[in-house]
Amino acid sequence: MAQVVLKDLVKTYGSVYAAKDVSLTVNDGEFVALVGPSGCGKTTTLNLVAGLIPITSGDIIIGDRVVNDLDPKDRDIAMVFQNYALYPQKTVFQNLAFPLQMRKLPKDEIDRKVREAAKVLDITHLLERKPRELSGGQQQRVALGRALVRDPAVFLMDEPLSNLDAKLRVQMRSEIKRFHQDLNATIIYVTHDQLEAVTMADKMAVMNGGLLQQYDTPAQVFANPVNMFVASFVGSPAMSLVPLEVSSTNGITSLTSAEGWHLPLSAENARKVANARSKKVVLGARHSTIRLHKEKLGDAVPAKVYTVEPTGDITFVQAFLSGAIVNISLPPSVIVEPDEMVWLEFDQDRIHLFDGETEMALRAE
Amino acid sequence: MSSTGDITTPRPRKQIDGWRWTGRIFLVIMLLYTALPMAWMILTSIKSGFAAMQFPPQWWPTEPTMASYQKLLDPQNSVGQDFLRFFWNSLFVSFVTTILAVVVAVPAAYAFSRFNFPGRKFLFFSVLLRNMFPAVIFLVPLFILMRWLGLVNTHGSLILTYLTFGLPLAIWLLKGFYDNIPIQLEQAARIDGATRFQAFLLIVTPLSVPGIIATAIYSFIGAWNEYIYAATFLTKNEQLTLPVGIQRFFSENTTDFPGLMAASFIMSVPVVVLFLLLQKYFVRALTEGAVKH
Repeated sequence: MAQVVLKDLVKTYGSVYAAKDVSLTVNDGEFVALVGPSGCGKTTTLNLVAGLIPITSGDIIIGDRVVNDLDPKDRDIAMVFQNYALYPQKTVFQNLAFPLQMRKLPKDEIDRKVREAAKVLDITHLLERKPRELSGGQQQRVALGRALVRDPAVFLMDEPLSNLDAKLRVQMRSEIKRFHQDLNATIIYVTHDQLEAVTMADKMAVMNGGLLQQYDTPAQVFANPVNMFVASFVGSPAMSLVPLEVSSTNGITSLTSAEGWHLPLSAENARKVANARSKKVVLGARHSTIRLHKEKLGDAVPAKVYTVEPTGDITFVQAFLSGAIVNISLPPSVIVEPDEMVWLEFDQDRIHLFDGETEMALRAE
Repeated sequence: MSSTGDITTPRPRKQIDGWRWTGRIFLVIMLLYTALPMAWMILTSIKSGFAAMQFPPQWWPTEPTMASYQKLLDPQNSVGQDFLRFFWNSLFVSFVTTILAVVVAVPAAYAFSRFNFPGRKFLFFSVLLRNMFPAVIFLVPLFILMRWLGLVNTHGSLILTYLTFGLPLAIWLLKGFYDNIPIQLEQAARIDGATRFQAFLLIVTPLSVPGIIATAIYSFIGAWNEYIYAATFLTKNEQLTLPVGIQRFFSENTTDFPGLMAASFIMSVPVVVLFLLLQKYFVRALTEGAVKH
């Protein structure tokens, strides 16, 4: 196993940046998820690390070697593809043996290693089958096995679960996590599903538009998103973002809606909005931190219920607040009707404030 | 089908059957159209020369004879010698054409499918340029070119010509196959320790075998059946290919129809055998299971 360092990595196609100045360090044995919407540059970044596409500028360091110009075969990596990319003409055994044959290992050692890997992944009984005779989950395991059999420095995984059905995905998610813990493997894992990233990874790198937005532990990314994109991308349902304006009366700073209501801010939050470039500030809040009241109460602000989605143990409510949709979660005992007027109370310690112009999170210093 | 369905909806059922029968009749007509001349060819080839000319015709030969075949395949008499030489010439020209076509088309098609290079689109469509014009148009220019190259009356002139006709389509056909092979298979192989060329050779080529075989058969049949260029470029008797040879050989004085039919039948054998042996490759969906769609 080894650490992976990306330094100012750039990939351009003509004048389009697929990855722009991506810098991050994956420590030895760490599970890092590259996450973002389609076209954000996460797969490009992974392919750059793999050496499948040439980099435009920057450095990729695996272990203590700069691998910028090395062929994929010389980078000591293994990759699991979204479509598994199993060799259809080869049996499962031959699929697992292929990377070892390419390294010219003796036949008995290949046999031993393949059987070992097959045992770890519980696919020993499938060794003589062809990929097309396997189920999706079994193919996935074989793909993992082909990566595992070689004992590479780094595992690269490109959306390995996105072709599985929902139930199998949850199961394989825990298996890959287990796989990481047992092998203490360095893994770079690409996914568009923030839930996979949050549940599996030690650290997540949120990307958008070819730029690395935030690189931190899932807990930190969840608690302190650096900008509105990260805030709305991580968490389900998404963080609600309400564009408002800052106003000050009698030394009290409030957020004012075009609808006419004011939300007074705590002293710390007031210091945050003082750093905003203009009066435009976006209020962010996660569904679980918003309290819903049926009548006006304290600093609660008025909203109109849009939809109600009971899921059994939690009811999700979407409401219009100052023209924006706000997600709120409620215990199922609270009954609200669409178009009902409600009052929302925000937790001053748990709201997020963003600069309306730069979209960056506002800090109190 | 349930009986209630029959009673309640007799009309749509009848219509469906009507269409089905129309289809069947159409297929039978097509079958007769293609198979009857072949049957007549075989029947005539085992008749005697006199029986072949009778009117009304003998539908079934009263005295079937293999004499025509014996004559054609006997290296002792002059007819047999000529026929076997033509056969060998055709085989040689077709085989060399096929091998060269595959050797050139495989890497060309792979390059068109996988690599992005300047002028790729232009080149790809320009290979089709030849196919926009009828073959006859090129007859005179190519003849002049071959004379200039000193290739008239050599098999090389035919091989070169057939390649210029066969290659464009072979490249198009094969490119389609390579396009359908997921690029991730090569990427996986390259990560697993193969060079780009090894990935092509060990992973992609076995998967493109059906395409290569289809291309090879296409080239072979094209070269095997070609007449007009062979008739123009070759004049020496010992160099003729079968389509030209058969025609010259049998219409000099009187036409020996059983002999002509026997020769035609023997000429069709390699093509039929190739098809029977290799047809499974046309239908075998080798890439099935490679990726999840």
